[in-house]
Amino acid sequence: MSELLELAKQACREALKHGAELVDVQTSAERSISINVEKNGIHDAKENDSASVSVRSIIKGATGFSNSSGFDLNGVLETARRSAAAAKLAQPDPDFVTLPAPASWQEVPGLYDTGVANLSAADLIRLFAAEIDAAREVCPDVMVQGGSQLSISEQALVNSLGIEVARRSTNVGIWVFCIVRRGDNVGSFYDFDCARIKSDFAPKGIGVKACREAVAFLDSRKTKSATLPVILGPLATRGLLWGICYSAGAENIQRKRSYLVGKRGQRIGSGLLTLRDDGLIPQGMASGAWDGEGAVRKRVTVVEEGVLANHLHGSYTANKAHEENTGHGNRWGGVGPTNVVPSLGRTTAAEIIADTPEGIYVNVGSLMPHPVTGDISATVDFGYKIENGKLAYPLKNTMLGTTVFDLLNNLDAISSDYREEPGMIMPTIRIQSVKIAGAE
Amino acid sequence: MKQMLEQLRDKARRRGVQFMDVRLFETDRTSISVQDRRADKISQGRSTAAGVRVLNEGAWGFASSEVTDAASLDRCLEAALGMAAASRVKLGEPGVVCAVQPVVDTVRAVVERPPQALSLQEKMQRVLAYEQAGIGCAGGKLCNTMVGYNDAWTRETVCNTAGTFVEQEVIRTSLGTAMTAADGDVRQMAHEHFSELAGVELLDRITPAEFTEKAARRAVALLTARRAPSGKFPIVVHPSIAGLLVHEALGHNAEADLVFSGESIIAGKLGTQIASPHVTIIDDATMPKLNGSYRYDSEGTPGAKRTIIEQGVLKGYMHSLETAARFGVAPNGSGRAMDAHCLPVVRMSNTYFTPGKLTFEELLKDIDLGIYMEGGHWGYVFCERGQYTCHAGEGWMIRKGQLAEHLRDVSFSGMTLETLLNIDAVSNELKFLLPGMCGKAGQGMHINAGGPHVRVKEVVVGGQE
Repeated sequence: MSELLELAKQACREALKHGAELVDVQTSAERSISINVEKNGIHDAKENDSASVSVRSIIKGATGFSNSSGFDLNGVLETARRSAAAAKLAQPDPDFVTLPAPASWQEVPGLYDTGVANLSAADLIRLFAAEIDAAREVCPDVMVQGGSQLSISEQALVNSLGIEVARRSTNVGIWVFCIVRRGDNVGSFYDFDCARIKSDFAPKGIGVKACREAVAFLDSRKTKSATLPVILGPLATRGLLWGICYSAGAENIQRKRSYLVGKRGQRIGSGLLTLRDDGLIPQGMASGAWDGEGAVRKRVTVVEEGVLANHLHGSYTANKAHEENTGHGNRWGGVGPTNVVPSLGRTTAAEIIADTPEGIYVNVGSLMPHPVTGDISATVDFGYKIENGKLAYPLKNTMLGTTVFDLLNNLDAISSDYREEPGMIMPTIRIQSVKIAGAE
Repeated sequence: MKQMLEQLRDKARRRGVQFMDVRLFETDRTSISVQDRRADKISQGRSTAAGVRVLNEGAWGFASSEVTDAASLDRCLEAALGMAAASRVKLGEPGVVCAVQPVVDTVRAVVERPPQALSLQEKMQRVLAYEQAGIGCAGGKLCNTMVGYNDAWTRETVCNTAGTFVEQEVIRTSLGTAMTAADGDVRQMAHEHFSELAGVELLDRITPAEFTEKAARRAVALLTARRAPSGKFPIVVHPSIAGLLVHEALGHNAEADLVFSGESIIAGKLGTQIASPHVTIIDDATMPKLNGSYRYDSEGTPGAKRTIIEQGVLKGYMHSLETAARFGVAPNGSGRAMDAHCLPVVRMSNTYFTPGKLTFEELLKDIDLGIYMEGGHWGYVFCERGQYTCHAGEGWMIRKGQLAEHLRDVSFSGMTLETLLNIDAVSNELKFLLPGMCGKAGQGMHINAGGPHVRVKEVVVGGQE
């Protein structure tokens, strides 16, 4: 870590020496191990080592980036000089004010774990093999694909205003994809587990879950076009809610390319919806005490009881708007969400389904609204027809179409129970009156 | 460097591995970002990395590093052997490679004007001029304008135990724009993108009229377009969507690694009629300048023209060295890796429907009520079930054989084998309009795709009306 910080400081000084007014430098080193599974066995295992430096020089708001691989000092200094030279050529941006200044922060616990760092390829293979074997007990002719990966990374960030921060992090994940064939009749499904620390990593059982779902997706059917309630399962909900927070990023708002432009303080959906962005959740997959520019992260309520409450900011957008930097920026001027946490309702997912005489249940579907228009036109990748309050049969070739505001206003239930992965709370939600396009 | 790679190869041979290759990947990139009348971000990057792959006792292992000296390559070889040993604990089908015809070649990038023929300042002015042209034709309706320029030099060197040593340089230049128009609460965005194996002559050839002005006019026009209807419709797709359709619906299913793994819906169907006789599909890595073209793949196999479907009959798959061995065929140059940190996997290059004899108007005239889709954006497929989704940037209703109301962006979905059989007409032109990146196995890869206008009897359209 000290080597990464020292290199970053040297690069920072070099860029300043060559004319940059403001500089930040990120140095990163990562080691990753991954396995790839094909037809119930390991196809390959691999190990990657990477090392990179990225320098941002700013002159009157004009930005020059340069990045390079490796930590050779001459190469790092050359990268810094190229960055300063690029900033001299770029055009000034009068909206740029300054980079973040040093501030006190507290490390988020649980982002690095020696238990994960000490895992080997053999460990990942052993864990995955157990899931293959378990899936084959459920269905002997299942084909299991997928993979697993762990990474151990170190990152230092230095800027010319005095920020000098560094962190280590670990993460590990496994994803299992099961395919069951009966001639041309095919069922498939996937599941995953991910974690920052070993004690949160509990992949046992995901092979069985994915396999059972794959079997359940045999005999999928087409359905008729209709206007029906749609229930989004945890995985489908996550993509939708993340997309709403993304569009609340101030970069998208200030550049006028978000459907949420001009909506702050206004009702955008049902009073049931409250969304918080919390990048400080211990062990969270998207957690970190500081953002991509070294600014301290803050918890932000993005939507409160259906009202768009706040924008997410990085330093550029916060300074431009004369608002507080929420610590959601990156070094390219962009802004993005971290861990998105919705408030929960009072009925369970099972009760919501039971309370729906006819509808569509979406396990997986790309329901993220178009970030500019807010329109949604998506395939039900994995889903069921609901009849008489029960999942009646799996669907194929079914789509849904709506707009983000219709969807949020027609949201009438959020479950009290949820799927949780570190930092991710994923409930089930119901939306009334969605256009369903079916192939029957 | 050549000597160092060959020494590593010789060490691997002495270790008795079945197969080993080392790939060195060097890049030098420049990008210019223009937004809202300012070229306020310029970026440059250089990287070097090497990846070592071994097949030992039926198991694949791989290791990569961004330190590329001899000691680091030795460490990669040992690490790759260690990874292969770990894999053997739960090996699937033992790994294989086909008999490799060794190739020794050096390929230099041939472009009309290399990136350094224009200074950064000159490139920036050209990009700003593109943006200004777009703004100038939009009648003040644009609320956000973005134009990006990228050029990249890459050199991939492949050395393997079969005796192949290929050094291949590529220069690729790209232009992209996203224009957003607004009128009250209505906001619409339109894109255009160009990417070729070319130098800065791309800037001489691409006119504002076909780039930023086109995107700006479309964004403005979409402000008054209606939302698409929902349901089953006959459709006619523009060549850019035909490219998306051929890539997503069929192309991935014809990648032999997915055929072997059991994911492909066309496994076991070679020689059978899987599409209507109007359908002939080619994947061709040899087309000059196209974004998906290459002389050699990442395994040192020459790129080739591959017939996937001929008049509806499935003729072949795309192969790497490994899948060629599994299927007992010759490799056809489809093993591609994004960079030195990635293993080569089977990928498409430039994939297309071949043209027919009808005109566009003739395709429309038999449709009483349908939709014409244009502006291929993105798509994806679940190969195992053969269910695909394609997204169109805009559309038009077809009423009584004529284009009618303008429609906003919308997705459509279908089942691959049904759609291939439901293609009942193709037009007489051929255009490649999807010069982009395809994602698979965590790797992005340069591709292009295209075709003529294609008519499909029925797909599901996920509109809002």
